[in-house]
Amino acid sequence: MMLLKLAWLNIWRNKRRTFITTTSVFFAVLLAVTTRSMTDGVYENMIHNIVSFSSGYLQIHQNGYWDEQSIDNSFEVDDQLYQELLKNPKVTHIMPRLETFALASYSEKTKGVLILGIDPTKEKEVNNLHEKIIEGQYIETVNDNAVVLGEGLASQLKLRVNDTLVLLGQGYHASSAAAKFKVKGIIKLGSPDLNNRVIYMPIKRAQYMHGAENRLTAISIMLDKTTNLEKLKASVQVVLDAEMYEVMTWKEMLPEMDQFIEADSTGHYIIIGILYFLISFGLFGTLMMMIFERKHELGILIAIGMKKHLLALILMLESIMIALIGCFAGILGGMLVVNWFVKHPVHFTGELKDIYENYGIESIIYFSSSENIFIVQTLIVLLLSILLAFYPGFVVMKLRPVEAINS
Amino acid sequence: MKKSQFLKFIICIIIFTMPLTTAFGQQDLSAKGIVKKAEDNMRGKTSQADITIKIIRPTWRREMNMKTWSKGDDYSLIMITAPAKEKGIVFLKRIKEVWNWIPSIERTIKLPPSMMSQSWMGTDFTNDDLVKEASSVVDYNHKHLGNEAISGKDCYKIEMIPKPSAAIIWEKVIVWIDTTDFLQLKAEFYDEDGALVNIMNSTTIKEIGGRKITSKIEMFPVDKEGNSTVIIYNDIIFDTPINDNFFTTRNMKQLK
Repeated sequence: MMLLKLAWLNIWRNKRRTFITTTSVFFAVLLAVTTRSMTDGVYENMIHNIVSFSSGYLQIHQNGYWDEQSIDNSFEVDDQLYQELLKNPKVTHIMPRLETFALASYSEKTKGVLILGIDPTKEKEVNNLHEKIIEGQYIETVNDNAVVLGEGLASQLKLRVNDTLVLLGQGYHASSAAAKFKVKGIIKLGSPDLNNRVIYMPIKRAQYMHGAENRLTAISIMLDKTTNLEKLKASVQVVLDAEMYEVMTWKEMLPEMDQFIEADSTGHYIIIGILYFLISFGLFGTLMMMIFERKHELGILIAIGMKKHLLALILMLESIMIALIGCFAGILGGMLVVNWFVKHPVHFTGELKDIYENYGIESIIYFSSSENIFIVQTLIVLLLSILLAFYPGFVVMKLRPVEAINS
Repeated sequence: MKKSQFLKFIICIIIFTMPLTTAFGQQDLSAKGIVKKAEDNMRGKTSQADITIKIIRPTWRREMNMKTWSKGDDYSLIMITAPAKEKGIVFLKRIKEVWNWIPSIERTIKLPPSMMSQSWMGTDFTNDDLVKEASSVVDYNHKHLGNEAISGKDCYKIEMIPKPSAAIIWEKVIVWIDTTDFLQLKAEFYDEDGALVNIMNSTTIKEIGGRKITSKIEMFPVDKEGNSTVIIYNDIIFDTPINDNFFTTRNMKQLK
């Protein structure tokens, strides 16, 4: 206890020195937190953008659907299941889907397409699908007798709004699925893959066409951006009958995107590693200065009988205290900065905006406010400072009092 | 001297082997004859039938009703009458072409060769079965393998190997034809690796339309446990003349 008090008094003996060291820790934490928050925010947003058009964060299928994606592996709509899912506070939206493959034909052209039977209102809330319409109108209700086509597909079929599209596919239990639809709108989507082959169809119409009344191939679940995916998957699985349903995360359904993010974030880890390196040397410098300044004093203390290891301990405590103060200030500062950016995301303009939008990603840099970032980044900086705190102790242990006093 | 001896030897061989080859030839002919007879029994010059097809799968089953018309080997027409959603779908076979009329999209589709080996209407029959089945007499070489009993009836067991010129996906087909009624009771289809792919059983011999026919035909794909397709003849009329004009893509659309 006395040692702690000594250390505390010591650090306030030279306020300027303490202030400089604290500041370097403060900026280290602030920088690490904001960088990480920004990269994580960009990824979270990218994932959100992509999954809201495709799989959703989580998807529930009939057991075995993913391995054999046929309409025969669909399941019956269960209102109770919806309610059960929506009870979870992290679940923001659920979207029923009926996905099948079919041939689409207009005049002389025929193409293989992906039919997405959707609930137009629910889809609109999640991904603002109606805003992507470039010609014609968006489908209004689940019963609307019309479809919306990807822009790439429409141009391949040489078809315009109000033309009649012929669809031919396989229905539920080997029935034949053939129907004509009026094209109500043409939609331009960011993902070229979807843009070139997607047909959005009101879900009731899709079910009727495939002879699969009241059946779905998937329920897509949208979550709050920062939710822990695996934990939520586990909690959803508890609600479901494991014999009947399977739950998959977007990482399992879109492994290539997960891998891309992993590869890309490795680059960011290298940059952050360099950042830590710089931070460590800054801290090390101030500690070295401190030792150098106090060499005379330390020499005298040892000469009058202070035990070396106690002195080393005091010096270590001093450094740790400084680091703690710096980290605490850093967290506060980081929170302010991140919260500001979370509320006021950075909007791109000009050319960069177009590039992002061509990829179907919003041209906005979001910041992530996940608490994990604060904890992890602060702990790393704290750990670094504690490791460095061994240095003054080490110097004291090797100090020769006579030389130190005379220096 | 030696030359004439050699000649005699050759002549001897020819004389001795001649009865053998002709005997084999005759058997060949009779095997073909049996198949042709069985074929004619089920087909007649023309036929009009009302049939039910059941698709049986491990977890579900489905039933369709249809009317069929056929004339000789070359023409046949199938119209779905139930379920309601598929009512009016027509398949037309003209010589080697298959056409499909789908009323809900008002389109006639000519089935391309690439679709021939695909399932017909979700059954265990392929589109190819629809077209090529008729040529089991002309397109195969037949060989009598002996007699075997199928469900208590004595049958000719005949191996049919496709002629090289014929576009048939099987390496061989073995059929069992009843010796008294000349009805095909069983058929086995082998692929190019010699593996058994499909087994077709024909049962429930009934007199419909003035003829004895097997009114229930079941197709079992060997590698899919629990899957099968059953064809049941509810009614059949033989030999009422049908005009060739009936089997046209134009008529296909007007059929009710």
